[in-house]
Amino acid sequence: MTSGTITDGPALRDPHTPDSRIGHGPDYLHAEHTLRSWFFTTDHKRIALLYLASITAFFVIGAVTAGLVRLALVVPDGQVFTNDTYNKLFTIHGVVMVWFFLIPSIPATFGNFLIPLMIGARDLAFPKLNLASWYVFMTGAFFTLVSVVLGGVDTGWTFYTPLSTAFSNTWVVPALIGVTIVGFSSILTGLNFVVTIHTMRAPGMTWFRLPIFVWTHYATSLIFLLATPVITVALVLLIAERAFHIGVFDPAYGGDPVLFQHLFWFYSHPAVYIMVLPGMGVISEIVPAFAQKKLFGYRFVAYAAIGLASVTFFVWGHHMFVNGQSDLASVAFSVLSFAVAVPSAVKVYNWTATIHKGSLKLDTPMLYAMGYIGLFVLGGLTGLYLATLAINQHVHATYFVVAHFHYIMVGGTVLAFLGGLHFWWPKFTGRMYIEAWGRISAVLIFIGFNVTFFPQFILGYLGMPRRYHVYPAEFQFLNILSSAGSTILAVGYIFPMIYLVYAIWFGKRAPANPWDARGLEWTVASPPPAHNFLTEPQAPKVPYDYPIQARETGRQHS
Amino acid sequence: MSGGTSVGVRLASHFATVEQQKHAAVLGMWAWLLTELLLFAGLFLTALILRLTHPEAVQAAARHLKFWIGAVNTVVLIGSSLTMSGAIQLSRLGWQRGMVRFMLATAALGTLFLALKGYEYYADYHEHMMPFLSDRPYALTDSPPSRLFVNLYYVATGLHGLHLLTGIAILLAMTRQASRPGFLAAHQNRIEIFGLYWHFIDLIWIVAFPTLYVLNR
Repeated sequence: MTSGTITDGPALRDPHTPDSRIGHGPDYLHAEHTLRSWFFTTDHKRIALLYLASITAFFVIGAVTAGLVRLALVVPDGQVFTNDTYNKLFTIHGVVMVWFFLIPSIPATFGNFLIPLMIGARDLAFPKLNLASWYVFMTGAFFTLVSVVLGGVDTGWTFYTPLSTAFSNTWVVPALIGVTIVGFSSILTGLNFVVTIHTMRAPGMTWFRLPIFVWTHYATSLIFLLATPVITVALVLLIAERAFHIGVFDPAYGGDPVLFQHLFWFYSHPAVYIMVLPGMGVISEIVPAFAQKKLFGYRFVAYAAIGLASVTFFVWGHHMFVNGQSDLASVAFSVLSFAVAVPSAVKVYNWTATIHKGSLKLDTPMLYAMGYIGLFVLGGLTGLYLATLAINQHVHATYFVVAHFHYIMVGGTVLAFLGGLHFWWPKFTGRMYIEAWGRISAVLIFIGFNVTFFPQFILGYLGMPRRYHVYPAEFQFLNILSSAGSTILAVGYIFPMIYLVYAIWFGKRAPANPWDARGLEWTVASPPPAHNFLTEPQAPKVPYDYPIQARETGRQHS
Repeated sequence: MSGGTSVGVRLASHFATVEQQKHAAVLGMWAWLLTELLLFAGLFLTALILRLTHPEAVQAAARHLKFWIGAVNTVVLIGSSLTMSGAIQLSRLGWQRGMVRFMLATAALGTLFLALKGYEYYADYHEHMMPFLSDRPYALTDSPPSRLFVNLYYVATGLHGLHLLTGIAILLAMTRQASRPGFLAAHQNRIEIFGLYWHFIDLIWIVAFPTLYVLNR
């Protein structure tokens, strides 16, 4: 490969990918039509769509409760809801969004659908286990919804003791059971991915020919396997504590409420990377495709994924700077948290370098990807503020923290999710959506997001604590601004739900490779055949073999 | 004992080769066991922290544990691992009926463990060592941390018992499948994979026994 020369992009593109649908069996969507063929399917592509429908439903619940929270915060005197109702609203928002949307969002949908296609496999290693994981997910969801229907929970999504064990008079136990069960669906998905990526790669598909999407999902799956069991045992102890008063988080019996925080964050900090890493994988696919340029620094981006998944296990104490842990521990956790910035920055620089001198097409997925990069930088940099011990004292448990994690979780993961949804929608459904609508909603979401969450940085810095709905009147302007932004954001979310669904029936038929992108998933028809590959997939010799290739100084990678 | 029949694994349609399928199954079980290890690790860690912060109370509570039942149970479980290994060895030779007998022996030893454990729980109940029961006053009321230790003991041994119960259920189901001829020709690796799980439950007990019983004597 003559990397080093910048070749003229369009000349090398082959827009005439043959339509492999002709003369072969039906695609996975039309292979069978019964309800049974969906609910008892072991096809990873159909299971991905089951997950997609479920997490979209949860996203709606989470978004509606978020809207109600923003509604309550329009007035400073807390007159919209009672204190109890407000507490329940933000708890439901957090629990549903974190455990039932963000954690499964990209892995269980795109990961499920794409990993076998990207590595050239016929399915995941354990198709029945894959289906089981969806049923486990729905069982957990059932328990959590039961707690919501019975009257809700008011502990916040973190379930901190002693509030959750001794003081809350709400339906904590069903919610905890739901979250515990959902953890098993994560474990089963992660296990399936790890085994699949290790054993199911097509001949010639070596580790360093894998798309970054697969690398980030591998890193995510390791976190699923290594961190989730710890939250499971923490939640089991919490349920036992609340139901039987076993004393493990109660100082009166020699227990320790802070122990819960340790066990909780030992999972929940790595869980941030469960939510972020798959999004990074999505961005690493979109950016090269819409710059028509080879991903810059492939190996570094791959190693950075593993680096993030490793460092993330050693920073949980930065959630606990003000709870009385030793100063030495705080300093260590602070330094390690700064270290997280290194692999994160590696990724951002490499995406930016990929865009540099690329042949840019600003289609919908790329708009989301560029939004992601900008917002992830802001979210990441404010993370450094929070990792600084002195600043943390000032902004701990304020809206600054709320803004920070929404920049990562919404600005990062949700934008990556939507970008990926638009990128692979033609592959999932075989139909194109209306591009203009896609661009309009991408821009609306970007604007709405920033209007909603940027004021919260200022609010937090000025001292507005999180989880309160009664606040000093001088904060009202910024709160109204934030609430106004959330209405723009809501419109931006509603549009894709309409035009993407519309496209399923009325969209233009999609070719196998509408974006002229690289990767094995684009070599099969849209939608793919039921068994993925009609002929033995040929692994590419070089990943991201796009027409434009930049010189990477130093030695060449083959 | 019947002579060796053919041994093998039937290829599932989504795998390319039997080797690939076997590799995936082994790796899958090890990954699952890794999560199990972390699950129990959190629990043992909690118990050890309590041992460090309240040594006297933990020792007072541990004196009520039935050391000899625990010790016998350790031997019983190690014995069950031995019979499990025997079943695996025979499965490789294709001696299906012999394998089934060893599997039944394994299930019997597992059940014996649970019976002894049940008797131990009963004795604990008798000695008012079940502090989570509200209608049964706890014996060591003057030592709240001991109460926590006893509760953790129930969580840990209960969770282990649940795993053992699941193991016995799977084992019996598999014994039923293996009672028909041709099982080993199509599913030999099932017994190998299950063997990993069984040995692992054994191993968890071998960590639990010193952590809860021996360390606090």
